Amino acid sequence: MRLKDAPIQRKLLVIILLTTITALLMMHGTLLIYEFLRFQRATTRQLSTVGKIIAGNSTAALAFANQSDATEILSALNAERYVTAAALYDKEGKLFSKYPANLPDDALPAAAQKDGFQSEHSYLAGCQPVMQGEKRLGTLYLRFDMGTLNREWLRISISIALAVIAVVILVAYLLSRKLQQRISEPIRALAGTAKAVYDRQDYSVRAKKFGEDEVGLLTDAFNQMLQKLEEKNTELQVTFEQLRVAHQEILGLNRDLEGRVEQRTAELKTVNKELEAFSYSVSHDLRAPLRHIDGFLELLQKKAGTALDPKCQRYVNLIAESAKEMGTLIDNLLSFSRMGRAAMCAAPVNLEQLVRDTIKELELEAAGRDIVWKIGALPEVRADQALLRQVLINLISNALKYSRTRPRTEIEIGCPPDPNGEHVVFIRDNGVGFDMKYADKLFGVFQRLHEADEFEGTGIGLANVQRIIGRHGGRTWAEGVVDAGATFYFSLPKSPSPQHETQTHFTRGRQPEGHRALARSP
Amino acid sequence: MALLVSTRHWRNGGPSDLPGVLFAALALLLVGGLNLPAQPVATKEYKIKAVFLFNFSQFVTWPTNAFPETQTPLVIGVLGEDPFGTYLDETVRGEEVDKHPLVIQHYRRAEEIKTCHILFISQSETSRLDQILPSLKGRSILTVSDAEGFAQQGGMIRFVTEKGRIRLRINPEAAKAASLTISSKLLRPAEIVAPGKD
Repeated sequence: MRLKDAPIQRKLLVIILLTTITALLMMHGTLLIYEFLRFQRATTRQLSTVGKIIAGNSTAALAFANQSDATEILSALNAERYVTAAALYDKEGKLFSKYPANLPDDALPAAAQKDGFQSEHSYLAGCQPVMQGEKRLGTLYLRFDMGTLNREWLRISISIALAVIAVVILVAYLLSRKLQQRISEPIRALAGTAKAVYDRQDYSVRAKKFGEDEVGLLTDAFNQMLQKLEEKNTELQVTFEQLRVAHQEILGLNRDLEGRVEQRTAELKTVNKELEAFSYSVSHDLRAPLRHIDGFLELLQKKAGTALDPKCQRYVNLIAESAKEMGTLIDNLLSFSRMGRAAMCAAPVNLEQLVRDTIKELELEAAGRDIVWKIGALPEVRADQALLRQVLINLISNALKYSRTRPRTEIEIGCPPDPNGEHVVFIRDNGVGFDMKYADKLFGVFQRLHEADEFEGTGIGLANVQRIIGRHGGRTWAEGVVDAGATFYFSLPKSPSPQHETQTHFTRGRQPEGHRALARSP
Repeated sequence: MALLVSTRHWRNGGPSDLPGVLFAALALLLVGGLNLPAQPVATKEYKIKAVFLFNFSQFVTWPTNAFPETQTPLVIGVLGEDPFGTYLDETVRGEEVDKHPLVIQHYRRAEEIKTCHILFISQSETSRLDQILPSLKGRSILTVSDAEGFAQQGGMIRFVTEKGRIRLRINPEAAKAASLTISSKLLRPAEIVAPGKD
C-alpha cells in the first residue's frame, strides 16, 4: 500500500521512525567520522610514542654498534600487533637492524628516509630520528598496518552503532506507537463519526472530543455543523411534509377542476353543436320560404306586370331585391356555419400562385377600374387550399370594394420575412380605411362599419376569415386610418400545431350529426 | 665508512653534500698522505673505538665541578701510544656536547693529566695500570682502555673484541666512585663487572 493511502496511524509511525532513523544515521555518521579522525590521530600519536621509546632505547645500541641489542630492542615491538615492520639505520643511513628479524631486506627502504610519517596504501610508515641528547645517532623506520587496524576499528564501531540504532529504533517504535495515538485517535474518531453520518444519514451522532488542539477545534466545528445539519434536516422534513400535503391538495383540486373543465367543455360543445345545427337548419329552412317568395314574385310580375301601376311595380321590385339579398345572406350564413364543421386538409400551398388565381377570379369586380397591383414574394405555406382561397377572396374583394371610390386603386400584397416562426401576409389598399377604435370589431359576425347602401356586404366575410385562420393556428388583425387606406394581416404558423388537427377531427366527428340535422330539416 | 664518518664530522654536513664530501676526501688524502711516516694510520678497529670514545661523552654525565665554565672544553685524553692516528681528532672536530667543545689531548705520563674527562689508556700502558689508575682516584675521569684486566683493576670501561665485534665491559661502581653517572642505556648492552673480575 502506498503511504498516501495508508491510515494516518501508520503515516505517523512511518514519519516518526523515518525521522528518528535519519537523525540517528546522521548523528552516527558524524560521530563515526569524528571518531575515525580522532582514532587516526591517536594511532599516529601512539605510533610516534612507540617510535620514540624504541628510538630512545636503541641509542646505545646504535652508538656502540650493538646489533644484537638493537634487534632485541626492536623485537619488543611484537607487543604492538599492528607494527608489521621496523628498522634501525645508523648515522650513515645504512640498515643496521630490522624487525621482524626474518624480514627480507628488500621489504624495507634500502636507506633511511626523511623524518615523518606518511600513508602508503593501507600502511602508515615513516622515519624518526634516534637521538642521544642533541646528537643524532641514526634513524628508526616503522611500518604500521593501518588498514587492518582501521577495518577492525570500523567493524567494531559499526557493530556498536548498528546495535545502538537497532535498540533506539525499537524504543522509538514502541514509544511512537503509544504516543501517535494521541494524534491519530481523535482524527480516527472524527473520521468514524463522519462515516457513520454518511452511511446512515444519521445527523444525531456526535464526534468525541479529546482535547483543545486543532483536532479538538475541528471536532467542535464538525459537531456544530452536524447540529445545524440536523436542525435544517428537521426543518426540511417538516417543510417537505407541508409541501407534500399541499401538493396532495392541489392534485385533488386539479383533478376536481379538470373534471369540471371537462364537464363544462362537454356541455359547451353540446350547446355549440346544437347552436350550429340550429343555425344551419334555420338558414337552410329559411331558403324554402324565400324560394316561395321569389317564385311567386316572378309569377306576380309575369301575370300582373302590366296591370300594376308603376308604384306597385316598384314595390314588387323592392320585394324581389330584398328577397335576393336575403338569399345571399342565407348563403353566407350557411357557408360560415359550414366553415366550422368542414374537414380541414392541410397541404403545401403556393401562396403566390393562389393570390394570382384569386385576382383573376375577381376580374369582373375590377373591370373598368384603374388598379395597380403590387404583389411581393410570397412563401409556400402549409394550409387547406380551399379555405385559404376563401380568405384571399374575402380580403382582396374587400380591398377592391372599399377602394372603388378612388380614381386609382393601389393594392399591395406581401409577406415580409418574419423570424418568429410564422408567415405574416398583409393586404393593403388605399381605400376609405377605418377608425382604429373599431379595430377589434372588424372580425365579428354581422359587424359592419359602413352602411349597406354605401358598400354592400353581409358582415360575415371577415368573421369567416378569422375563423379559417384561427383553425390554421394563426391570427388576424388590421390597421387603418379613416380615408387613408387599410391593411389587413393574417399569420400562418410555419409548422401548424397539432391542436387544430384535433379540432379538425372533432369537427369531423360531429359532422354526421350535422348532416342528419340538415337532412331532417327540409 | 671511515671516510664518510670523518667527512660528516669534519664538515658537519649531510650525506647529500657532494662537494663537501669530495673536499673532505681530498683533505684526508693530503693529511693522511703527508703525515704517514710521523703518525701511524688507525686500523678499522680503532676507528670504531674512536667513535665509541666520542659516543661515551653522550651517555656519561659528569659532576658540575668538572666543567667550571660553560665554555670549558670536554677533554678526551689519550695516555701512551696513540693508536688512532689523526682519526680521533677528525671524529671530534667541530663536535660539542652540551655546548662544551671537544678537545683531544695526548699524555705520555699520568702526571701530565690536568683537566681530562675521558681518558683512553693505550695498551702500551698496560704494565703501568696499577700505578695510573690509583693516581686518578677521586678525579671525575672516565677511564677507558682495551687493556686486558682493565675493569678488574679499577678501570671503568673496557673494549672487548668478540667475533670481530667490539663489546663493552663496564665497571659501574668504579664510575660511581668517580662521581660519574653512566646512562642505563649504555649499561644495557654492556657486560657489567665488579672490581676484581675480568
